[in-house]
Amino acid sequence: MNEMAQNTNLSGHNAEGGFDIDRIRQDFPVLSRQVHGKPLVYFDSGASAQKPRAVINAMTEVLEDQYTNVHRGAHYLSQALTDRYEGVREKIAAFINAPSENEIVITRNTTEAINLVAATYGRKFLSKDDAVVISDMEHHANIVPWQLLRDETGIELKIAPIDDRGMLDMDAYAALLDRNTKLVSMTHCSNVLGTMLPANEIVRLAHDRSIPVLLDGSQAVVHSTVDVQDLDADFYVFTGHKLYGPTAIGVLYGKADLLAQMPPYQGGGDMIATVTYEKTTYQEPPYRFEAGTPPIVEAIGLGAAIDYVSAIGMDAIAAHEKALLAYATERLAAMPDIRLFGSAPEKAAILSFVQDGIHPFDTAATLDRAGVAVRVGQHCAEPLMTRLGVEGTVRASLAMYNTIGEIDSMITALERARSLFA
Amino acid sequence: MTIAVEKLAQYDEYVEALDLLDEESRFEYIIDIGKRADKIPFPVECMDHAHLMHGCMSKVWIIHDMNGGAHHFRGQSDAIIVKGLVSMMTGSFSGLTSDELAEVTLDHVRSLNLGALTMQRQVGMMAMLKHMQKLSQRSAQAATANED
Repeated sequence: MNEMAQNTNLSGHNAEGGFDIDRIRQDFPVLSRQVHGKPLVYFDSGASAQKPRAVINAMTEVLEDQYTNVHRGAHYLSQALTDRYEGVREKIAAFINAPSENEIVITRNTTEAINLVAATYGRKFLSKDDAVVISDMEHHANIVPWQLLRDETGIELKIAPIDDRGMLDMDAYAALLDRNTKLVSMTHCSNVLGTMLPANEIVRLAHDRSIPVLLDGSQAVVHSTVDVQDLDADFYVFTGHKLYGPTAIGVLYGKADLLAQMPPYQGGGDMIATVTYEKTTYQEPPYRFEAGTPPIVEAIGLGAAIDYVSAIGMDAIAAHEKALLAYATERLAAMPDIRLFGSAPEKAAILSFVQDGIHPFDTAATLDRAGVAVRVGQHCAEPLMTRLGVEGTVRASLAMYNTIGEIDSMITALERARSLFA
Repeated sequence: MTIAVEKLAQYDEYVEALDLLDEESRFEYIIDIGKRADKIPFPVECMDHAHLMHGCMSKVWIIHDMNGGAHHFRGQSDAIIVKGLVSMMTGSFSGLTSDELAEVTLDHVRSLNLGALTMQRQVGMMAMLKHMQKLSQRSAQAATANED
Protein backbone atom coordinates (compact mmCIF):
# COMPACT_ATOMS: atom_id res chain seq x y z
CA MET A 1 0.00 0.00 0.00
CA ASN A 2 1.48 3.31 -0.96
CA GLU A 3 1.40 6.66 0.82
CA MET A 4 -1.76 7.75 -0.91
CA ALA A 5 -3.61 4.70 0.32
CA GLN A 6 -2.55 5.38 3.89
CA ASN A 7 -3.72 8.95 3.65
CA THR A 8 -7.15 8.00 2.45
CA ASN A 9 -7.57 5.66 5.42
CA LEU A 10 -9.50 3.18 3.35
CA SER A 11 -8.38 -0.17 4.54
CA GLY A 12 -9.73 0.11 8.02
CA HIS A 13 -12.04 2.00 10.23
CA ASN A 14 -12.85 5.55 9.28
CA ALA A 15 -14.12 7.00 12.52
CA GLU A 16 -14.75 10.48 11.16
CA GLY A 17 -16.91 9.55 8.20
CA GLY A 18 -18.55 6.60 9.90
CA PHE A 19 -17.74 4.48 6.86
CA ASP A 20 -16.61 1.14 8.24
CA ILE A 21 -15.29 -0.86 5.30
CA ASP A 22 -14.63 -3.98 7.39
CA ARG A 23 -18.19 -4.07 8.64
CA ILE A 24 -19.56 -3.42 5.18
CA ARG A 25 -17.53 -6.29 3.76
CA GLN A 26 -18.88 -8.59 6.43
CA ASP A 27 -22.39 -7.70 5.29
CA PHE A 28 -21.69 -9.28 1.90
CA PRO A 29 -21.36 -13.05 2.39
CA VAL A 30 -19.86 -13.75 -1.04
CA LEU A 31 -16.86 -11.53 -0.34
CA SER A 32 -15.44 -14.08 2.07
CA ARG A 33 -15.18 -16.79 -0.58
CA GLN A 34 -12.19 -17.77 -2.61
CA VAL A 35 -11.78 -18.15 -6.37
CA HIS A 36 -8.97 -20.34 -7.73
CA GLY A 37 -7.62 -20.50 -4.19
CA LYS A 38 -7.41 -16.70 -3.90
CA PRO A 39 -9.69 -14.28 -2.06
CA LEU A 40 -12.41 -13.05 -4.40
CA VAL A 41 -11.79 -9.49 -5.60
CA TYR A 42 -15.10 -8.48 -7.11
CA PHE A 43 -14.55 -5.68 -9.61
CA ASP A 44 -17.59 -6.46 -11.76
CA SER A 45 -20.23 -4.57 -9.82
CA GLY A 46 -21.00 -2.44 -12.88
CA ALA A 47 -22.40 -5.59 -14.47
CA SER A 48 -24.18 -6.67 -11.30
CA ALA A 49 -23.38 -5.87 -7.69
CA GLN A 50 -23.14 -8.37 -4.84
CA LYS A 51 -25.95 -8.54 -2.30
CA PRO A 52 -25.74 -7.67 1.38
CA ARG A 53 -27.19 -10.00 3.99
CA ALA A 54 -30.01 -7.49 4.56
CA VAL A 55 -31.29 -8.05 1.00
CA ILE A 56 -30.92 -11.82 1.19
CA ASN A 57 -32.69 -11.93 4.56
CA ALA A 58 -35.54 -9.68 3.46
CA MET A 59 -36.25 -11.87 0.43
CA THR A 60 -35.94 -15.09 2.42
CA GLU A 61 -38.26 -13.71 5.09
CA VAL A 62 -40.96 -12.96 2.51
CA LEU A 63 -40.63 -16.36 0.89
CA GLU A 64 -40.66 -18.23 4.20
CA ASP A 65 -43.23 -16.30 6.16
CA GLN A 66 -45.15 -13.67 4.21
CA TYR A 67 -45.49 -14.80 0.64
CA THR A 68 -48.68 -14.42 -1.39
CA ASN A 69 -49.86 -12.34 -4.32
CA VAL A 70 -50.34 -8.59 -3.90
CA HIS A 71 -53.15 -6.17 -4.82
CA ARG A 72 -55.89 -8.78 -4.99
CA GLY A 73 -56.29 -11.04 -2.00
CA ALA A 74 -59.00 -10.37 0.58
CA HIS A 75 -56.94 -11.98 3.28
CA TYR A 76 -54.38 -11.06 5.90
CA LEU A 77 -51.24 -12.15 4.06
CA SER A 78 -52.17 -10.33 0.88
CA GLN A 79 -53.02 -7.10 2.63
CA ALA A 80 -49.83 -7.22 4.70
CA LEU A 81 -47.60 -7.97 1.72
CA THR A 82 -49.37 -5.39 -0.45
CA ASP A 83 -48.59 -2.79 2.21
CA ARG A 84 -44.97 -3.89 2.28
CA TYR A 85 -44.73 -3.97 -1.51
CA GLU A 86 -46.28 -0.52 -1.90
CA GLY A 87 -43.99 0.68 0.88
CA VAL A 88 -41.08 -0.10 -1.43
CA ARG A 89 -42.53 2.27 -4.01
CA GLU A 90 -42.41 4.98 -1.35
CA LYS A 91 -38.81 4.06 -0.50
CA ILE A 92 -37.81 4.28 -4.16
CA ALA A 93 -39.52 7.65 -4.47
CA ALA A 94 -37.71 8.95 -1.38
CA PHE A 95 -34.39 7.51 -2.59
CA ILE A 96 -34.42 9.60 -5.78
CA ASN A 97 -36.51 12.38 -4.23
CA ALA A 98 -39.47 11.88 -6.54
CA PRO A 99 -42.42 14.04 -5.54
CA SER A 100 -44.80 11.08 -5.36
CA GLU A 101 -44.69 7.29 -5.24
CA ASN A 102 -47.31 7.38 -8.01
CA GLU A 103 -44.53 8.48 -10.33
CA ILE A 104 -42.61 5.25 -9.69
CA VAL A 105 -43.29 2.44 -12.16
CA ILE A 106 -41.86 -0.97 -11.27
CA THR A 107 -40.24 -2.67 -14.27
CA ARG A 108 -38.01 -5.68 -14.79
CA ASN A 109 -34.88 -3.60 -15.30
CA THR A 110 -33.54 -0.47 -17.00
CA THR A 111 -33.90 -2.07 -20.40
CA GLU A 112 -37.61 -2.63 -19.88
CA ALA A 113 -38.05 0.88 -18.49
CA ILE A 114 -36.54 2.45 -21.64
CA ASN A 115 -38.49 0.11 -23.90
CA LEU A 116 -41.62 1.12 -22.02
CA VAL A 117 -41.01 4.81 -22.67
CA ALA A 118 -40.13 4.15 -26.32
CA ALA A 119 -43.21 1.99 -26.85
CA THR A 120 -45.69 4.25 -25.09
CA TYR A 121 -44.47 7.84 -25.00
CA GLY A 122 -42.49 7.28 -28.19
CA ARG A 123 -45.33 5.77 -30.19
CA LYS A 124 -47.81 8.36 -29.01
CA PHE A 125 -45.77 11.53 -29.27
CA LEU A 126 -43.04 10.86 -31.84
CA SER A 127 -43.57 10.47 -35.55
CA LYS A 128 -41.69 10.63 -38.82
CA ASP A 129 -39.17 13.48 -38.99
CA ASP A 130 -39.03 13.79 -35.20
CA ALA A 131 -35.67 13.03 -33.61
CA VAL A 132 -34.39 11.46 -30.41
CA VAL A 133 -30.96 12.53 -29.18
CA ILE A 134 -28.71 10.03 -27.41
CA SER A 135 -24.98 10.25 -26.67
CA ASP A 136 -22.07 8.35 -28.18
CA MET A 137 -21.55 6.47 -24.91
CA GLU A 138 -24.86 4.72 -24.42
CA HIS A 139 -25.48 1.18 -23.31
CA HIS A 140 -27.30 -0.84 -25.97
CA ALA A 141 -30.37 -0.56 -23.72
CA ASN A 142 -30.54 3.12 -24.64
CA ILE A 143 -29.84 2.61 -28.33
CA VAL A 144 -31.83 -0.37 -29.55
CA PRO A 145 -35.30 0.63 -28.19
CA TRP A 146 -34.99 3.87 -30.18
CA GLN A 147 -33.85 1.98 -33.27
CA LEU A 148 -36.93 -0.23 -32.98
CA LEU A 149 -39.04 2.91 -32.76
CA ARG A 150 -37.15 4.39 -35.70
CA ASP A 151 -37.86 1.31 -37.82
CA GLU A 152 -41.51 1.52 -36.90
CA THR A 153 -42.20 5.25 -37.14
CA GLY A 154 -39.38 6.75 -39.18
CA ILE A 155 -37.96 8.92 -36.40
CA GLU A 156 -34.35 10.00 -36.59
CA LEU A 157 -31.73 9.02 -34.03
CA LYS A 158 -29.14 11.74 -33.41
CA ILE A 159 -25.88 10.99 -31.66
CA ALA A 160 -24.28 13.63 -29.45
CA PRO A 161 -20.50 13.17 -29.76
CA ILE A 162 -17.96 12.82 -26.96
CA ASP A 163 -14.41 14.06 -26.72
CA ASP A 164 -11.28 12.01 -26.09
CA ARG A 165 -11.65 12.32 -22.33
CA GLY A 166 -15.05 10.67 -22.58
CA MET A 167 -17.00 13.85 -21.94
CA LEU A 168 -20.08 14.92 -23.81
CA ASP A 169 -19.41 17.66 -26.34
CA MET A 170 -21.93 20.14 -24.93
CA ASP A 171 -21.81 22.52 -27.91
CA ALA A 172 -22.49 19.69 -30.32
CA TYR A 173 -25.24 18.42 -28.02
CA ALA A 174 -26.89 21.84 -27.88
CA ALA A 175 -26.72 22.07 -31.67
CA LEU A 176 -28.70 18.83 -31.95
CA LEU A 177 -31.58 20.33 -29.98
CA ASP A 178 -33.33 21.70 -33.03
CA ARG A 179 -37.03 21.91 -33.79
CA ASN A 180 -37.17 18.25 -34.89
CA THR A 181 -35.78 16.93 -31.63
CA LYS A 182 -38.63 15.74 -29.44
CA LEU A 183 -36.79 13.72 -26.79
CA VAL A 184 -33.34 13.44 -25.25
CA SER A 185 -32.47 10.01 -23.83
CA MET A 186 -29.06 9.93 -22.26
CA THR A 187 -26.99 8.08 -19.73
CA HIS A 188 -26.33 9.85 -16.43
CA CYS A 189 -23.10 7.88 -15.99
CA SER A 190 -21.23 5.89 -18.64
CA ASN A 191 -21.07 2.18 -17.85
CA VAL A 192 -17.76 1.95 -19.72
CA LEU A 193 -15.92 5.20 -19.00
CA GLY A 194 -17.44 6.12 -15.66
CA THR A 195 -18.09 9.66 -16.93
CA MET A 196 -20.73 11.44 -14.86
CA LEU A 197 -22.58 13.54 -17.39
CA PRO A 198 -23.58 17.11 -16.52
CA ALA A 199 -27.20 16.02 -16.24
CA ASN A 200 -28.52 19.32 -14.88
CA GLU A 201 -27.09 21.19 -17.84
CA ILE A 202 -28.26 18.52 -20.30
CA VAL A 203 -31.80 18.84 -18.95
CA ARG A 204 -31.71 22.64 -18.81
CA LEU A 205 -30.62 23.00 -22.42
CA ALA A 206 -33.31 20.58 -23.57
CA HIS A 207 -36.01 22.21 -21.45
CA ASP A 208 -35.09 25.61 -22.88
CA ARG A 209 -36.47 24.17 -26.10
CA SER A 210 -39.33 22.31 -24.38
CA ILE A 211 -37.73 18.93 -25.06
CA PRO A 212 -38.26 16.28 -22.37
CA VAL A 213 -35.29 14.27 -21.08
CA LEU A 214 -34.91 10.65 -20.04
CA LEU A 215 -31.84 9.88 -17.97
CA ASP A 216 -30.44 6.34 -17.68
CA GLY A 217 -29.31 6.20 -14.08
CA SER A 218 -28.28 2.53 -13.96
CA GLN A 219 -24.74 3.41 -12.87
CA ALA A 220 -25.39 6.87 -11.44
CA VAL A 221 -27.74 5.77 -8.64
CA VAL A 222 -25.08 3.37 -7.40
CA HIS A 223 -22.28 5.89 -7.19
CA SER A 224 -23.94 9.19 -6.33
CA THR A 225 -26.92 10.89 -4.73
CA VAL A 226 -29.67 11.30 -7.30
CA ASP A 227 -32.41 13.90 -6.93
CA VAL A 228 -34.85 13.79 -9.83
CA GLN A 229 -36.43 17.08 -8.81
CA ASP A 230 -33.10 18.85 -8.72
CA LEU A 231 -32.24 17.31 -12.10
CA ASP A 232 -35.73 18.15 -13.32
CA ALA A 233 -35.57 14.91 -15.34
CA ASP A 234 -38.80 13.95 -17.06
CA PHE A 235 -37.96 10.25 -16.92
CA TYR A 236 -35.31 8.59 -14.80
CA VAL A 237 -34.61 4.87 -15.06
CA PHE A 238 -32.44 2.43 -13.15
CA THR A 239 -32.13 -1.22 -12.25
CA GLY A 240 -32.14 -2.97 -8.89
CA HIS A 241 -29.36 -5.49 -9.34
CA LYS A 242 -26.58 -2.94 -9.78
CA LEU A 243 -27.78 -1.17 -6.63
CA TYR A 244 -27.02 -4.21 -4.42
CA GLY A 245 -30.60 -5.42 -4.91
CA PRO A 246 -31.96 -8.45 -6.75
CA THR A 247 -32.25 -9.04 -10.47
CA ALA A 248 -35.52 -8.69 -12.39
CA ILE A 249 -36.57 -5.41 -10.83
CA GLY A 250 -36.09 -1.96 -12.25
CA VAL A 251 -37.55 1.49 -11.91
CA LEU A 252 -39.07 4.03 -14.22
CA TYR A 253 -39.64 7.42 -12.67
CA GLY A 254 -41.83 9.64 -14.83
CA LYS A 255 -43.34 13.03 -14.15
CA ALA A 256 -47.00 12.57 -13.30
CA ASP A 257 -48.32 14.63 -16.19
CA LEU A 258 -46.28 12.63 -18.70
CA LEU A 259 -47.23 9.24 -17.29
CA ALA A 260 -50.88 10.31 -17.30
CA GLN A 261 -50.73 10.94 -21.05
CA MET A 262 -49.03 7.65 -21.90
CA PRO A 263 -50.99 4.61 -23.10
CA PRO A 264 -50.44 1.21 -21.46
CA TYR A 265 -47.31 -0.81 -22.25
CA GLN A 266 -48.48 -4.38 -21.83
CA GLY A 267 -52.04 -5.58 -21.25
CA GLY A 268 -53.21 -7.98 -18.59
CA GLY A 269 -54.18 -8.19 -14.98
CA ASP A 270 -53.48 -5.44 -12.44
CA MET A 271 -53.30 -2.64 -15.04
CA ILE A 272 -57.02 -2.49 -15.79
CA ALA A 273 -59.93 -0.65 -14.19
CA THR A 274 -62.76 -2.56 -15.91
CA VAL A 275 -62.80 -5.19 -18.60
CA THR A 276 -65.65 -6.13 -20.90
CA TYR A 277 -65.38 -7.76 -24.31
CA GLU A 278 -66.41 -4.46 -25.85
CA LYS A 279 -64.16 -2.09 -23.95
CA THR A 280 -61.45 -2.08 -21.32
CA THR A 281 -60.45 0.87 -19.21
CA TYR A 282 -57.09 1.22 -17.58
CA GLN A 283 -55.79 2.09 -14.16
CA GLU A 284 -54.10 5.36 -13.38
CA PRO A 285 -50.28 5.43 -13.36
CA PRO A 286 -48.19 3.76 -12.12
CA TYR A 287 -50.42 0.64 -12.19
CA ARG A 288 -51.38 1.22 -15.82
CA PHE A 289 -47.82 0.22 -16.76
CA GLU A 290 -47.55 -2.81 -14.48
CA ALA A 291 -49.44 -5.65 -16.16
CA GLY A 292 -49.46 -9.00 -14.41
CA THR A 293 -48.15 -10.11 -11.05
CA PRO A 294 -45.24 -7.83 -10.23
CA PRO A 295 -41.80 -8.92 -8.97
CA ILE A 296 -42.97 -9.00 -5.36
CA VAL A 297 -40.02 -10.66 -3.65
CA GLU A 298 -37.57 -8.71 -5.78
CA ALA A 299 -39.28 -5.45 -4.83
CA ILE A 300 -38.89 -6.30 -1.15
CA GLY A 301 -35.23 -7.04 -1.87
CA LEU A 302 -34.77 -3.71 -3.63
CA GLY A 303 -36.42 -1.95 -0.69
CA ALA A 304 -33.91 -3.61 1.64
CA ALA A 305 -31.05 -2.57 -0.65
CA ILE A 306 -32.24 1.03 -0.62
CA ASP A 307 -32.50 0.92 3.18
CA TYR A 308 -29.00 -0.53 3.32
CA VAL A 309 -27.27 2.06 1.13
CA SER A 310 -29.32 4.88 2.68
CA ALA A 311 -28.20 3.88 6.18
CA ILE A 312 -24.56 4.06 5.08
CA GLY A 313 -25.28 7.21 3.09
CA MET A 314 -24.78 7.72 -0.64
CA ASP A 315 -22.40 10.59 0.07
CA ALA A 316 -20.20 8.37 2.26
CA ILE A 317 -20.27 5.64 -0.39
CA ALA A 318 -19.36 8.18 -3.08
CA ALA A 319 -16.47 9.50 -0.98
CA HIS A 320 -15.09 5.99 -0.41
CA GLU A 321 -15.37 5.15 -4.10
CA LYS A 322 -13.78 8.43 -5.10
CA ALA A 323 -10.72 7.59 -3.04
CA LEU A 324 -10.63 4.09 -4.57
CA LEU A 325 -10.90 5.58 -8.06
CA ALA A 326 -8.08 8.04 -7.40
CA TYR A 327 -5.83 5.28 -6.09
CA ALA A 328 -6.65 2.84 -8.92
CA THR A 329 -6.17 5.58 -11.53
CA GLU A 330 -2.78 6.48 -10.05
CA ARG A 331 -1.61 2.86 -9.98
CA LEU A 332 -2.80 2.14 -13.52
CA ALA A 333 -1.32 5.39 -14.84
CA ALA A 334 2.05 4.32 -13.42
CA MET A 335 2.01 1.18 -15.58
CA PRO A 336 3.50 2.02 -18.98
CA ASP A 337 1.61 -0.71 -20.80
CA ILE A 338 -1.85 0.33 -19.59
CA ARG A 339 -4.08 2.53 -21.72
CA LEU A 340 -6.93 3.88 -19.63
CA PHE A 341 -10.11 5.16 -21.28
CA GLY A 342 -12.12 7.96 -19.76
CA SER A 343 -10.57 10.80 -17.82
CA ALA A 344 -13.56 13.02 -17.13
CA PRO A 345 -13.10 15.12 -13.98
CA GLU A 346 -16.47 13.91 -12.71
CA LYS A 347 -16.18 10.18 -12.85
CA ALA A 348 -17.56 7.12 -11.05
CA ALA A 349 -15.28 4.27 -9.95
CA ILE A 350 -15.32 2.52 -13.32
CA LEU A 351 -11.99 1.89 -15.05
CA SER A 352 -11.80 0.68 -18.63
CA PHE A 353 -8.39 -0.14 -19.98
CA VAL A 354 -6.31 -2.29 -22.29
CA GLN A 355 -2.79 -3.61 -21.91
CA ASP A 356 -0.53 -2.86 -24.87
CA GLY A 357 0.02 -5.94 -27.01
CA ILE A 358 -2.27 -8.10 -24.89
CA HIS A 359 -5.82 -8.97 -25.83
CA PRO A 360 -8.31 -7.86 -23.16
CA PHE A 361 -9.52 -11.45 -22.84
CA ASP A 362 -5.99 -12.60 -21.95
CA THR A 363 -5.68 -9.81 -19.40
CA ALA A 364 -9.04 -10.67 -17.86
CA ALA A 365 -8.28 -14.39 -17.77
CA THR A 366 -5.05 -13.66 -15.90
CA LEU A 367 -6.91 -11.43 -13.47
CA ASP A 368 -9.42 -14.22 -12.95
CA ARG A 369 -6.60 -16.59 -12.02
CA ALA A 370 -5.75 -14.12 -9.26
CA GLY A 371 -9.36 -14.11 -8.07
CA VAL A 372 -10.01 -10.70 -9.62
CA ALA A 373 -13.39 -10.61 -11.38
CA VAL A 374 -13.64 -8.04 -14.16
CA ARG A 375 -15.67 -7.72 -17.29
CA VAL A 376 -14.12 -7.90 -20.72
CA GLY A 377 -15.47 -7.07 -24.16
CA GLN A 378 -17.70 -4.36 -25.44
CA HIS A 379 -19.78 -3.86 -22.31
CA CYS A 380 -23.02 -3.63 -24.30
CA ALA A 381 -21.68 -0.41 -25.84
CA GLU A 382 -20.38 -1.43 -29.27
CA PRO A 383 -20.68 2.05 -30.85
CA LEU A 384 -18.57 3.49 -28.02
CA MET A 385 -15.89 0.86 -28.68
CA THR A 386 -15.87 2.01 -32.31
CA ARG A 387 -15.48 5.61 -31.12
CA LEU A 388 -12.58 4.58 -28.86
CA GLY A 389 -11.01 2.59 -31.70
CA VAL A 390 -10.80 -0.68 -29.79
CA GLU A 391 -12.41 -4.10 -30.12
CA GLY A 392 -13.04 -4.19 -26.42
CA THR A 393 -11.64 -3.28 -23.04
CA VAL A 394 -11.13 -4.72 -19.60
CA ARG A 395 -13.47 -3.02 -17.16
CA ALA A 396 -12.92 -2.90 -13.44
CA SER A 397 -16.07 -1.47 -11.88
CA LEU A 398 -15.69 -0.83 -8.18
CA ALA A 399 -18.26 -0.65 -5.44
CA MET A 400 -18.60 0.38 -1.83
CA TYR A 401 -17.20 -2.94 -0.57
CA ASN A 402 -13.90 -2.74 -2.45
CA THR A 403 -10.56 -1.83 -0.89
CA ILE A 404 -7.15 -0.43 -1.68
CA GLY A 405 -5.67 -3.88 -1.03
CA GLU A 406 -7.88 -5.33 -3.75
CA ILE A 407 -6.64 -2.73 -6.22
CA ASP A 408 -3.10 -3.79 -5.31
CA SER A 409 -4.09 -7.40 -6.11
CA MET A 410 -5.32 -6.32 -9.52
CA ILE A 411 -2.11 -4.42 -10.24
CA THR A 412 -0.01 -7.46 -9.28
CA ALA A 413 -2.11 -9.63 -11.59
CA LEU A 414 -1.70 -7.11 -14.42
CA GLU A 415 2.05 -7.32 -13.95
CA ARG A 416 1.82 -11.08 -14.23
CA ALA A 417 -0.23 -10.73 -17.44
CA ARG A 418 2.52 -8.57 -18.86
CA SER A 419 5.14 -11.22 -18.09
CA LEU A 420 2.95 -14.02 -19.47
CA PHE A 421 1.85 -12.40 -22.72
CA ALA A 422 3.91 -9.38 -23.69
CA MET B 1 -19.90 -46.54 -33.94
CA THR B 2 -16.93 -45.24 -32.06
CA ILE B 3 -14.06 -43.09 -33.20
CA ALA B 4 -10.91 -45.11 -33.95
CA VAL B 5 -8.40 -44.71 -31.10
CA GLU B 6 -5.52 -43.66 -33.36
CA LYS B 7 -7.59 -40.81 -34.75
CA LEU B 8 -7.78 -39.20 -31.34
CA ALA B 9 -4.08 -39.51 -30.52
CA GLN B 10 -3.54 -35.77 -30.32
CA TYR B 11 -6.64 -35.31 -28.18
CA ASP B 12 -5.54 -38.11 -25.83
CA GLU B 13 -2.14 -36.48 -25.53
CA TYR B 14 -3.76 -33.23 -24.42
CA VAL B 15 -6.02 -35.03 -21.93
CA GLU B 16 -3.08 -36.90 -20.43
CA ALA B 17 -0.84 -33.84 -20.26
CA LEU B 18 -3.51 -31.70 -18.66
CA ASP B 19 -4.42 -34.44 -16.20
CA LEU B 20 -0.92 -34.30 -14.73
CA LEU B 21 -1.06 -30.55 -14.18
CA ASP B 22 -2.62 -28.50 -11.41
CA GLU B 23 -5.09 -25.79 -12.33
CA GLU B 24 -2.52 -23.02 -12.47
CA SER B 25 -0.18 -25.03 -14.67
CA ARG B 26 -3.05 -25.88 -17.01
CA PHE B 27 -3.59 -22.16 -17.50
CA GLU B 28 0.06 -21.70 -18.44
CA TYR B 29 -0.04 -24.83 -20.63
CA ILE B 30 -2.82 -23.30 -22.77
CA ILE B 31 -0.89 -20.06 -23.03
CA ASP B 32 2.14 -22.02 -24.25
CA ILE B 33 0.05 -23.77 -26.89
CA GLY B 34 -1.40 -20.39 -27.88
CA LYS B 35 2.06 -18.86 -28.20
CA ARG B 36 3.29 -21.81 -30.26
CA ALA B 37 0.24 -21.54 -32.53
CA ASP B 38 0.96 -17.83 -32.85
CA LYS B 39 4.26 -18.64 -34.58
CA ILE B 40 2.56 -20.67 -37.32
CA PRO B 41 1.38 -18.28 -40.04
CA PHE B 42 -2.36 -18.21 -40.59
CA PRO B 43 -3.56 -16.94 -43.97
CA VAL B 44 -4.51 -13.31 -43.45
CA GLU B 45 -7.12 -13.51 -46.21
CA CYS B 46 -8.97 -16.09 -44.11
CA MET B 47 -9.30 -13.72 -41.16
CA ASP B 48 -12.49 -12.42 -42.72
CA HIS B 49 -16.17 -12.44 -41.99
CA ALA B 50 -16.73 -15.72 -43.80
CA HIS B 51 -14.40 -17.59 -41.46
CA LEU B 52 -15.34 -15.73 -38.30
CA MET B 53 -16.96 -17.53 -35.44
CA HIS B 54 -18.87 -14.84 -33.61
CA GLY B 55 -17.97 -14.35 -29.99
CA CYS B 56 -18.25 -11.44 -27.64
CA MET B 57 -14.85 -11.47 -25.97
CA SER B 58 -12.41 -12.36 -28.72
CA LYS B 59 -12.46 -13.21 -32.39
CA VAL B 60 -12.04 -16.74 -33.66
CA TRP B 61 -11.53 -17.70 -37.31
CA ILE B 62 -11.69 -21.31 -38.42
CA ILE B 63 -10.67 -22.66 -41.82
CA HIS B 64 -12.06 -25.98 -42.89
CA ASP B 65 -11.33 -28.28 -45.74
CA MET B 66 -12.11 -31.84 -46.63
CA ASN B 67 -9.73 -34.45 -47.91
CA GLY B 68 -10.67 -38.05 -48.66
CA GLY B 69 -13.75 -37.83 -46.49
CA ALA B 70 -11.80 -36.44 -43.55
CA HIS B 71 -12.32 -32.92 -42.20
CA HIS B 72 -9.34 -30.72 -41.44
CA PHE B 73 -9.46 -27.53 -39.44
CA ARG B 74 -7.14 -24.69 -38.60
CA GLY B 75 -7.95 -21.90 -36.23
CA GLN B 76 -6.86 -18.42 -35.30
CA SER B 77 -7.77 -15.92 -32.61
CA ASP B 78 -6.71 -12.45 -31.56
CA ALA B 79 -6.35 -13.59 -27.94
CA ILE B 80 -3.51 -15.96 -27.01
CA ILE B 81 -5.54 -18.09 -24.60
CA VAL B 82 -8.32 -18.50 -27.12
CA LYS B 83 -5.70 -19.27 -29.76
CA GLY B 84 -4.47 -22.05 -27.48
CA LEU B 85 -7.99 -23.38 -27.05
CA VAL B 86 -8.70 -23.26 -30.80
CA SER B 87 -5.42 -24.94 -31.53
CA MET B 88 -6.27 -27.76 -29.12
CA MET B 89 -9.69 -28.21 -30.68
CA THR B 90 -8.57 -28.15 -34.30
CA GLY B 91 -5.56 -30.35 -33.50
CA SER B 92 -7.67 -32.83 -31.58
CA PHE B 93 -10.50 -33.27 -34.01
CA SER B 94 -8.98 -32.83 -37.46
CA GLY B 95 -8.88 -35.96 -39.59
CA LEU B 96 -12.29 -37.21 -38.51
CA THR B 97 -15.13 -38.07 -40.87
CA SER B 98 -18.47 -36.31 -40.61
CA ASP B 99 -19.95 -39.23 -38.67
CA GLU B 100 -16.99 -39.32 -36.32
CA LEU B 101 -17.12 -35.59 -35.73
CA ALA B 102 -20.79 -35.86 -34.89
CA GLU B 103 -19.82 -38.26 -32.13
CA VAL B 104 -17.55 -35.79 -30.40
CA THR B 105 -19.52 -34.57 -27.42
CA LEU B 106 -19.51 -32.25 -24.48
CA ASP B 107 -17.85 -35.07 -22.51
CA HIS B 108 -14.79 -34.99 -24.78
CA VAL B 109 -14.45 -31.29 -24.10
CA ARG B 110 -15.11 -31.77 -20.38
CA SER B 111 -12.36 -34.38 -20.17
CA LEU B 112 -9.83 -31.71 -21.04
CA ASN B 113 -10.70 -30.34 -17.63
CA LEU B 114 -10.16 -26.71 -18.47
CA GLY B 115 -12.89 -25.35 -16.22
CA ALA B 116 -14.41 -22.01 -17.15
CA LEU B 117 -12.22 -21.65 -20.22
CA THR B 118 -13.76 -24.80 -21.66
CA MET B 119 -17.34 -23.98 -21.03
CA GLN B 120 -17.84 -20.36 -21.89
CA ARG B 121 -20.64 -20.42 -24.35
CA GLN B 122 -19.58 -17.66 -26.63
CA VAL B 123 -15.89 -18.27 -27.11
CA GLY B 124 -15.44 -21.54 -25.27
CA MET B 125 -14.48 -24.90 -26.63
CA MET B 126 -18.07 -26.15 -26.78
CA ALA B 127 -18.92 -23.30 -29.13
CA MET B 128 -15.84 -24.17 -31.21
CA LEU B 129 -16.86 -27.82 -31.37
CA LYS B 130 -20.36 -26.92 -32.50
CA HIS B 131 -18.93 -24.56 -35.08
CA MET B 132 -16.60 -27.27 -36.42
CA GLN B 133 -19.46 -29.75 -36.57
CA LYS B 134 -21.59 -27.24 -38.41
CA LEU B 135 -18.81 -26.57 -40.95
CA SER B 136 -18.36 -30.30 -41.53
CA GLN B 137 -22.09 -30.87 -41.98
CA ARG B 138 -22.35 -27.97 -44.37
CA SER B 139 -19.51 -29.22 -46.56
CA ALA B 140 -20.82 -32.78 -46.44
CA GLN B 141 -24.21 -31.51 -47.59
CA ALA B 142 -22.57 -29.47 -50.34
CA ALA B 143 -20.66 -32.57 -51.47
CA THR B 144 -23.90 -34.57 -51.58
CA ALA B 145 -25.65 -31.81 -53.51
CA ASN B 146 -22.85 -31.82 -56.08
CA GLU B 147 -23.24 -35.56 -56.53
CA ASP B 148 -26.95 -35.02 -57.20
